[in-house]
Amino acid sequence: MTRALGWLAVVGLVAGLVMGFAVAPREVTQGNVQRIMYVHVPSVWVAYVAFAVVFVASIVYLARRAEGADHVAHASAELGVLFTGLTIATGSIWGKPTWGAWWTWDARLTSVAVLFVMYLGYLLLRGMIDEPERAARYAAVLGVVAALNIPLVHFSVYWWRTLHQPPSLMKPGGSSMPRVIVWALLVNFAAFALVYLYFLARRVRLLRLEAEAAA
Amino acid sequence: MPDNWGFVLAAYGLAALVLFAYWRRLIRREKELSASMPGHPMSAPASRTSLE
Repeated sequence: MTRALGWLAVVGLVAGLVMGFAVAPREVTQGNVQRIMYVHVPSVWVAYVAFAVVFVASIVYLARRAEGADHVAHASAELGVLFTGLTIATGSIWGKPTWGAWWTWDARLTSVAVLFVMYLGYLLLRGMIDEPERAARYAAVLGVVAALNIPLVHFSVYWWRTLHQPPSLMKPGGSSMPRVIVWALLVNFAAFALVYLYFLARRVRLLRLEAEAAA
Repeated sequence: MPDNWGFVLAAYGLAALVLFAYWRRLIRREKELSASMPGHPMSAPASRTSLE
């Protein structure tokens, strides 16, 4: 199953590259630098999914004390941090030629940076506590609280005046983007989601193995 | 607007590097743990591929 998921992710990534470089046209205003969006946008969507999984798994853990739910939350938080880091880095690389700055303390960028630091804190908290049950319990509470920042990140572009543009796809009234660009984004999102699922399966298996080795 | 291919390559290169490095880290850690628990059912035989 994990193996099939791994190969599906590879196929998805190749399809994403084909969509991003061969099928999607050169964007009129930004030029080819807009192709960075096919990595940047799917990365943040997958990060949202990963943190939503942390939220749900943390609630399940707090309700049932199921070790499996804790492993899912831990693995998903790690992947969420990975994809948020990728979002920030690729956004910064896109921002330099487009905005003329690697970084600006805009509401969207700042709220994403806060999200990144919160989940980094989640991973640090887990690492700091030696007793596994206590680490899982404290992390689950933080996993629930930190998720409150996700809507703040998404709606920050509406609630504050920002340099970052509002959502192009997930916005009221539907997308005004050309269909081919929407498809390129969706194919890349599917590919990144497969990568996330593959990594999640492997990381959960590894956490189980680590728990057995420590027992 | 200039195309800035260098920035495009940097973004895609960085993404590829990060994902590949994370994958390698998972494989390496799994192998280390499997080696330390030889009788464990999750210990991978040598014939399996890394994507498994």
